Amino acid sequence: MRRLRYIIGALLAVLWMAPLSAQEPTGTIRGRVIDNETQQPLARVTVAVGSRGALTQADGRFVITGVPVGTGTLRARMLGYAPATRPVTVVGGQTDVVDLALTAQAIQLADIVVTGYGEQRAGDIIGAVSQINTEEFNPGRIVSPAQLIESKIAGVQVEDRNEPGAGRSIRIRGATSINASSEPLYVIDGVPVGTGAGGGLSAGRDPLNFLNPDDIESITVLKDASAASIYGANAANGVVLIQTKSRGGRLGQQITYSTNFSTSTVTRLPSMLSAAQYRTAVQEHAASSVGQLLNSNTDWFNLITRSAYGMEHNLSLSSATERQFYRMSLGYLNQDGIIRGSTTERISLGLAYQQRLFDDRLDVRANVKGSRAGDQFTPGGVLGSAATMGPTQPVYDPTTVTGYYDWTAAPPSADNPVAIMNLASDRGVTWRSLGNLQANYRFPFLEALRANVNIGYDVARADRKTFIPSILHSQLRETHGSLYLANQSQVNTLFESFLNYAAPLNLAPGNVDVTAGYSYAQSHAEYPWFRTTGLGTNLLGDNGVSTGATVQNIENIVETKLISFFGRLNYNLGDRFLAAFSVRRDGSSRFGKDNAWGTFPSVAVAWRLSQEPFMRGIEMLSDLKLRASWARTGNQAFGDYLQYSTYTVGDALTQVQFGNEFVTTIRPSAVDPNIRWETTGSTNVGLDFGFRGQRISGAIDWYDKKTTDMIFTVPVAAGTNFSNYVTTNIGSMRNRGIEFSLGARVLEGGRGALGWTVDFTASHNANELLSIYACGDCAQEIRTGGVSGAVGTTIQVLRPGEPINSFFVYEHKTGADGKPVYSTTMTDMYVDRPTVFDSVVCRGSGAGAAGCVGLYRPDGTINDSDLRPFHSPWPTWTLGHTSRLTYSDFDLSFTLRAQLGAYVYNNVASSNGFYNQLTRGSPYNLHTSVLETDFVTEQYTSDYYVEDASFLRMDNVTLGYSFQYAGRPWHVFAAVQNAFTITGYSGVDPTAGLNGLDNNIYPRSRTFTGGLSVRF
Amino acid sequence: MNIRPSKAFAVAAVLLFLAAAGCTDPTVAPKSTITEANLGTDPNFSYRAFLAKLYAGLAVTGQQGPHGNADITANDEGFYNYIRLLWCMNELPTDEAVIGWGDRGLAELNRGTWSASNNPWVEALYARIFYQVTLVNEFLRQTTLERLNAAGVSTALKTTIQQYRAEARFLRALSYWHGIDFFGNIPLVTEDDPVNSPPPAQATRTEIYNYIVAELTALRDSLPATGAGMYGRAARPAADMLLAKVYLNAGVYTGTAHWTDALNAAQAVITSGAYSLEPVWLHNFLADNNTSPEIILPVTSDGQHTQTWGGTTFIIHAACGGSQQPSWYGIDYCWWGIRLKPEAVNRYAAGDGRASVIYSAGQNLAVTSTTNWNDGYALAKFSNLTSAGVAGSHGTHPDTDFPMFRLADAYLIYAEAFLRGGGGSQTQALTYVNALRARAYGGTSGDITGAQLTLAFVLDERGRELLWEGHRRTDLIRYGLFSGGTYLWSWKHGTNPGTALGVERDLYPLPAAELVANPNLTQNPGY
Repeated sequence: MRRLRYIIGALLAVLWMAPLSAQEPTGTIRGRVIDNETQQPLARVTVAVGSRGALTQADGRFVITGVPVGTGTLRARMLGYAPATRPVTVVGGQTDVVDLALTAQAIQLADIVVTGYGEQRAGDIIGAVSQINTEEFNPGRIVSPAQLIESKIAGVQVEDRNEPGAGRSIRIRGATSINASSEPLYVIDGVPVGTGAGGGLSAGRDPLNFLNPDDIESITVLKDASAASIYGANAANGVVLIQTKSRGGRLGQQITYSTNFSTSTVTRLPSMLSAAQYRTAVQEHAASSVGQLLNSNTDWFNLITRSAYGMEHNLSLSSATERQFYRMSLGYLNQDGIIRGSTTERISLGLAYQQRLFDDRLDVRANVKGSRAGDQFTPGGVLGSAATMGPTQPVYDPTTVTGYYDWTAAPPSADNPVAIMNLASDRGVTWRSLGNLQANYRFPFLEALRANVNIGYDVARADRKTFIPSILHSQLRETHGSLYLANQSQVNTLFESFLNYAAPLNLAPGNVDVTAGYSYAQSHAEYPWFRTTGLGTNLLGDNGVSTGATVQNIENIVETKLISFFGRLNYNLGDRFLAAFSVRRDGSSRFGKDNAWGTFPSVAVAWRLSQEPFMRGIEMLSDLKLRASWARTGNQAFGDYLQYSTYTVGDALTQVQFGNEFVTTIRPSAVDPNIRWETTGSTNVGLDFGFRGQRISGAIDWYDKKTTDMIFTVPVAAGTNFSNYVTTNIGSMRNRGIEFSLGARVLEGGRGALGWTVDFTASHNANELLSIYACGDCAQEIRTGGVSGAVGTTIQVLRPGEPINSFFVYEHKTGADGKPVYSTTMTDMYVDRPTVFDSVVCRGSGAGAAGCVGLYRPDGTINDSDLRPFHSPWPTWTLGHTSRLTYSDFDLSFTLRAQLGAYVYNNVASSNGFYNQLTRGSPYNLHTSVLETDFVTEQYTSDYYVEDASFLRMDNVTLGYSFQYAGRPWHVFAAVQNAFTITGYSGVDPTAGLNGLDNNIYPRSRTFTGGLSVRF
Repeated sequence: MNIRPSKAFAVAAVLLFLAAAGCTDPTVAPKSTITEANLGTDPNFSYRAFLAKLYAGLAVTGQQGPHGNADITANDEGFYNYIRLLWCMNELPTDEAVIGWGDRGLAELNRGTWSASNNPWVEALYARIFYQVTLVNEFLRQTTLERLNAAGVSTALKTTIQQYRAEARFLRALSYWHGIDFFGNIPLVTEDDPVNSPPPAQATRTEIYNYIVAELTALRDSLPATGAGMYGRAARPAADMLLAKVYLNAGVYTGTAHWTDALNAAQAVITSGAYSLEPVWLHNFLADNNTSPEIILPVTSDGQHTQTWGGTTFIIHAACGGSQQPSWYGIDYCWWGIRLKPEAVNRYAAGDGRASVIYSAGQNLAVTSTTNWNDGYALAKFSNLTSAGVAGSHGTHPDTDFPMFRLADAYLIYAEAFLRGGGGSQTQALTYVNALRARAYGGTSGDITGAQLTLAFVLDERGRELLWEGHRRTDLIRYGLFSGGTYLWSWKHGTNPGTALGVERDLYPLPAAELVANPNLTQNPGY
């Protein structure tokens, strides 16, 4: 109720700003403002006469009431256009109609950019916001929306994934969290779909794949906290706003069809020993196993990879009249992966409808997007087995139950990857639909006041089936086959409403734009799954449940709620001084009872120096704007119900025996009843600049983000909670960085002339973990980054003073031959770091005594204390470049990307790069690094495997040609994605995921795409 | 489309806006789960299931079998099962066992060179112990008469729950015993310390010893007298057995020996009549050992109901390798992990049937390399075959229960306590010891005389009878032989032949993580 009063108060305040009717007779001026060249209406133009003013609406119309009688000058002004004036004579009680046309000067500044709960002109934006529109999207084979903006925005890192449609993480200005998510919030047409693209669903690869990239109009990234903070407790990782195609400028009907076909080939595979090298190695290092070797020469990777083909078709129909717009789209995509058995397929349908009613006062928009995505996954273990299966062994063996060859010796040995690939299956189907109905009403008694109601839904159903037959080599030992079924569903609903008042202040100089709103979002999700192991028969495959020896059934229902109040005030004084204040108050079902509500304020100011009289003389300068902002945002992307001690019911395999009965158990969970959001305080200082009518423009930003109350699962004092670790708000981290972006129309092009535009981005981010526990000088460190191959061995660390996930390894000594030393004595191999206080040198004095500080000596053994933080997976610099050339009807574009200073741990080399892998029951194939290292035993924690993963990559090159045929405009194009990668990294891909661990990742490929589009 | 908007429409829009804004409660009650709020709504299920979890904490690692939804946070759930921890930490540093794997912290256990920080085994055992304690405390809080009355629990069930409470307290005492045995001075938290309390103070080993004794003395009469229908649970003799174990080591824990109390407690177990020696020694370690009359407190395992990667799953699989065939032990394959140290083998004399499970084909007696499976004899004592030679119900997860306490141990405690001056009679002691010897030798050929019944003999006999049952480190410490250089065995202190081990090794260090979380604690001396 208290909050209700706030809202009423805010509302009244807005209403009060309405002009109180003047005592003297006044008149009204109404009219329309258009672009002089395109004749299209212009929105948000300030039109004023004397002290009375108004802003134009979307249709370019304006109404100024209460204009004192007499003659005056009507001025229309908008950034990016030359101002226009018109003399008017106002007669009391009458309405004059005056239309104006503005001439563009630097039109980019007037572009409309989508922001949270509204939109702004590009030139008015104070925060660090980047919008990428259709024409700038990455071309080629695109499955997930995040691919569209990869390499395009300074400070935005899109994870490379080689698997078609694979989920792509995005990091905006570095990771802000360790245990909560660092993914941005996605908002599609005003409907937040959650952090990390509406997570929880695991049947498909990327939950965002439901959206057809062809339906997307623009993607806006709110990078700095002041822009994002209107999303409060979800905004700490930045916000990605996706706007689907809606009304364009053109009237009439339009049908477009586009299609493309692609083929991908493998460019890099793990470097394993050949059959001959393997045989030699077995003879030298595992003589007793030589008898197991056969005489085949099998290239296992060759058998599991392929040239992958893909195709895509998109058909859309749109119709626009003055008051009505609709668009229908149908899309189909089918893309194979370069590993056999991995495929993604999508059928999508989109509907958008927009209608203006009541004299254009009511604008109603409806959007429905739906799709079915079918994913087939390469069954688990195929890639790893292809690396480790002996190359001397054959693929087939008619004497076995499967017909495939497998090692016969016990204990565990590598499996035949072809057998797994052909006999096991793993597939998922995801149905998802998202839609909303948005009504925007302009009040008749107060033109500047609008009410906006948005009702949205997001429904998904995801089914996953994984079948592993009992006759597979890996199954004969333990599991004896398994069938896993998961049938997940989620229903998210949203109600939002806000009032917006945007008008010139008729009492004081400047324009204000005030927004106040309320949001209610709830989610209901069900995650039932079923697993049976020890299959009685493989007859049914994944089409039915054969009687299994053991069965696990889980149903998990999760409900969440987020209730928010938000308000924002933008102030613009003559385009010279800009200020924005916003505050959001979030109540979340994830917060503990004493922390149910969090408040997230922001303030941002900007000074457009180029509007100042002293700068006006500089002809070539079209824009120079200094920006500064501070904001506090939250991150609530962690588990639900952490504040409640809930009892988990044990499954049928964790019962205990009471007499002759087996009793199911229940268990209370560890809990911090006051858990709450992580807080990120951010400062951003930026400079926007533009020359020659924005022909050259760019921005420089510096930011400092400090995350506090970070959620960590930390050790808890024994006896005080229901586990040894509890998740609580503790710890802090900092990201600091600089971003540059520069765009230029080097050559303007035009008929018969070469056009060339270039974009450069460069960003630097330095991540530092500041603290974990609140304890004095205790060893605050958490080991992380478990490696494949050795249980419990980790190679990364969370340690204050270092970037998160820094590698934590021994320094390997290098021999005279330049190779890493191998020895059975640890101290010969690794550098023994001085960790023991040398009491001999400083006899009788304490460690802190003068002259004794730092006098440490090695302790003579290699143990935990000799591990050292050594680089991190985070790039220090990321550089991007896009060029677009046009000549006549041809266009050519390419995108280059470089990443410097990131390191990757080559787990394929470390877990297979030592000769003892040959002495197991059956010899495993080895990584070729062993030929250099001659390691006999495993050296997982050697810095030898931490490799510089700097690279330069040609992300794509596209050549297009436009022509007229049969009276229709056609466009054809050919694109190459991942044209080349230059790197010193020895594994398959230097962009091996965000955490820097390369363990049998999906191999890198090159994709050729050819396509066409036509408009009817 | 030329409808005139009315003011009413505008007003309606504003009202809709305001009405919605009235919804301001973000609370969502958890679903698909039990909370304190609804625990009592199905009392016949809840309290029994909670008690079952207190037992399950010894047997499994989480709420999914064989792993998943783990109880404690550790770098690998399956490694850090209560029994597996007890077993590894009480056996690997001694003269009984060696493990060949390179997983983190294991080599340090083999060699007695664990560091004060970051040994995952140390951290996990400590966590497991206090996990049990904290759960028992919560169980006691949730089953007070006030709570049960508020939940409307029937009188009959309330009576049953009183016995549950005694069992819960027994399990807490058991874990506290492990706590002081492995770690020395540790915090003492009871049901009077609610969750999310500030970090507790450190209690002395003696204080906790006194608490254990007081608790066991107080609760034993609330437990049923016999184990009939109580298999897998603690009956009164289990409390006496635990008392006997605690009294036996009282000198180590408090500096004051309690030999008489130890002898009397062992005697109470023996004379309860609830248990008798299983005629076939090996039957105690087979898949149907739930039918053995000798096991006082098993930690149950079942291929179809109770699955874990620890417990007997670990002991049976890890003990198998080399030329042994997994089918000989009713399992699916061997893990090639643990072998005997030569000292444990050499204790057996010819004719001792208990040595028949030592497997030497292809194995070397000496452990030249800890990581080479062929160094050290294998031991096929635990098996997933039944006494009839039939494989258990699951190839990976055996039906074999882990005998935490069995009657033979009570016999040997009697003998040792007698020899140390705890009263009793030599005749009785000899009877008990020779009962074990006769079973082992299949006749009287192995019987000993009164003169042969010495403390050294009892320690060796414990090594023979209770080999690999998780008692050895405690026994060696009580005899003063674990640390120091009086008795050296292979790989003691990381060398072969062994060298003296520092006296600080009689205790494990408090885990580094616990010292961070609880500033009230002082690390054990020498770490």
